[in-house]
Amino acid sequence: MPTDRASIMGIFDTETQAASAIRGLRNTAYTLERVHSPIPSHEIAGAMEAPKSKVGWFTLAGGITGFFTGFLLAAFTSARWGMIVGGKPIVALVPFFIVGFEFTILFAVFGNVLGLISQARLPRFKRDEFYDPRFTGHKFGVLASCNASECKGLYHFFEAKGADIKTAEEVQVEPGQPPQGGPTP
Amino acid sequence: MSYGPKSSTANVPARPAMPLVLCGLLTAAGLVVFVSQLFGGNAARAWQSYLVSFLLFSAIAQGAVLFSTLMHAVGARWSGPLAGLAEAFISFFPVSFVLFLVLFIGRQHIFPWLGHDLHGKEVWLNLPFLFTRDAIGLLLLYGLGLAYLYHVLGLKLAVRQSGGPVAQWLFSRWQTRPPEPDRFHRRATVLAFLYMFVFAVVLSLLGYDLVMSMDPHWYSTLFGAYSFVKAIYVGFGALIITAAILQLGGRTGLSLAASHYHDIGKLFFAFGLVWADFFYAQFVVIWYGNISEETAYVIERTMTAPWSLLAWAVLAICFIAPFLILLNKRIKTLPAAMVVICGAVIVGMWLEHFLLLGPVFHHGVERLPLSWIDPLVALGFLGLLAASVVFYLRQFPAVLTHRLEDKR
Repeated sequence: MPTDRASIMGIFDTETQAASAIRGLRNTAYTLERVHSPIPSHEIAGAMEAPKSKVGWFTLAGGITGFFTGFLLAAFTSARWGMIVGGKPIVALVPFFIVGFEFTILFAVFGNVLGLISQARLPRFKRDEFYDPRFTGHKFGVLASCNASECKGLYHFFEAKGADIKTAEEVQVEPGQPPQGGPTP
Repeated sequence: MSYGPKSSTANVPARPAMPLVLCGLLTAAGLVVFVSQLFGGNAARAWQSYLVSFLLFSAIAQGAVLFSTLMHAVGARWSGPLAGLAEAFISFFPVSFVLFLVLFIGRQHIFPWLGHDLHGKEVWLNLPFLFTRDAIGLLLLYGLGLAYLYHVLGLKLAVRQSGGPVAQWLFSRWQTRPPEPDRFHRRATVLAFLYMFVFAVVLSLLGYDLVMSMDPHWYSTLFGAYSFVKAIYVGFGALIITAAILQLGGRTGLSLAASHYHDIGKLFFAFGLVWADFFYAQFVVIWYGNISEETAYVIERTMTAPWSLLAWAVLAICFIAPFLILLNKRIKTLPAAMVVICGAVIVGMWLEHFLLLGPVFHHGVERLPLSWIDPLVALGFLGLLAASVVFYLRQFPAVLTHRLEDKR
């Protein structure tokens, strides 16, 4: 982030307050950086108007790869032996389709997990400086940035929305400690 | 439970006659074709078309009602007015039962095994026993459906509202003996579970008796399950079509969000997969066993002309196309698109019934023996089903706007 930018985290008690703050940020010059929620929230997801997740494409790609992998694996192993069993063809479509189907499911799951990990940019070893442990408990966090000169306005914006506020100064003073209240920006 | 003094009079607003006229025309067209064929020297064809349509449209109604019982049994709240709409298909139950009884008249034309040596299967395959057990099964299923409907209506329509004579009769009854919500809810839950259980048993029985037995030397243990899964698939499809038509028509007050269409679309998609899975599960076993008693049935329908063409068409219409199209999320939220997809699947299932029964009725044909008689008779059944649903919705218009109250 450029040095002339500053970030402020608003900490909310309810998802409705958080969603309201997110919607409100759209009408201002402030930039919404990140949102933390302890629960999956349709209300917050709707307010963020985030682009559609790409995880589904990973799942689809995994599924298609899996089908051909399974089918070809069955065909390859069968062809290596070349034994006719029960009068069936060596590469028989009907039963190998089932192997293909099972691999479709397996690889789709792998694709899904890989998609989730890559899209969520996991793992993260460095903890975000504004992160508050209460975001995995009962609080909602909305991080927004603004020009350094507009900090006061953003602070008052969050305050008007009913947030506890965490600023960069506070983060530096008490790293890892939950804020006790908003200092004057 | 309270009934307001002002609401004690029936207030039925004027409703357009067009839907009922259209249903009447469809029914009349089907009836005219059926009767003309019956007395025009083509009775066998008429009864065979009748059987195919009876099976399909009864399955649609039975499967659609299963949606409501399923939602009620598991306490689902996402379905909203869709569950109320699904109950409208119960109105076809009495009609379906009468249509089944009428089938008895055409028994000579639809049971190819009559008069044949069945090598011991006569114990099961004889007309008195077959019609008696199927009639009892349908009576039980439809009785449970109607009892379930009575209780869910008691829960939903607590306050007297506008409606037709049947609704007013029910309101009068509940005025003297108000339904206790807890008791009605408990009973409806028990009836919902019973309906689903009996649905599986009776639909299996009908599948064995009215479809599988037509080729009395062939058998598949899974055929019953295949039959009732198919009914759920087409039933959900018909429910989506009805909801979409009512919403697009915009007169009934039915309001479904895109998420409703998305969710029921996913359920429809899932049952398409289950249907294909049940087909494949039968097919693989027969393919592996390679016993001529079992394979002859499949070979005739999937590998010999002209039926093989129909078999591939059914697979494409009922599984491949819906599977590929419904992978897309957005299309499931578009009512008009879903009408087309679900409509195609139902037509595909009509063809599937024709594929299962056709080779028995039409030996050694070179061309597909589909003629204008079959779709017209099917349209007659469609008219009856649609008229039943319209009749119900006019009796109980409030079910479309009813909202579930969260009692938890």
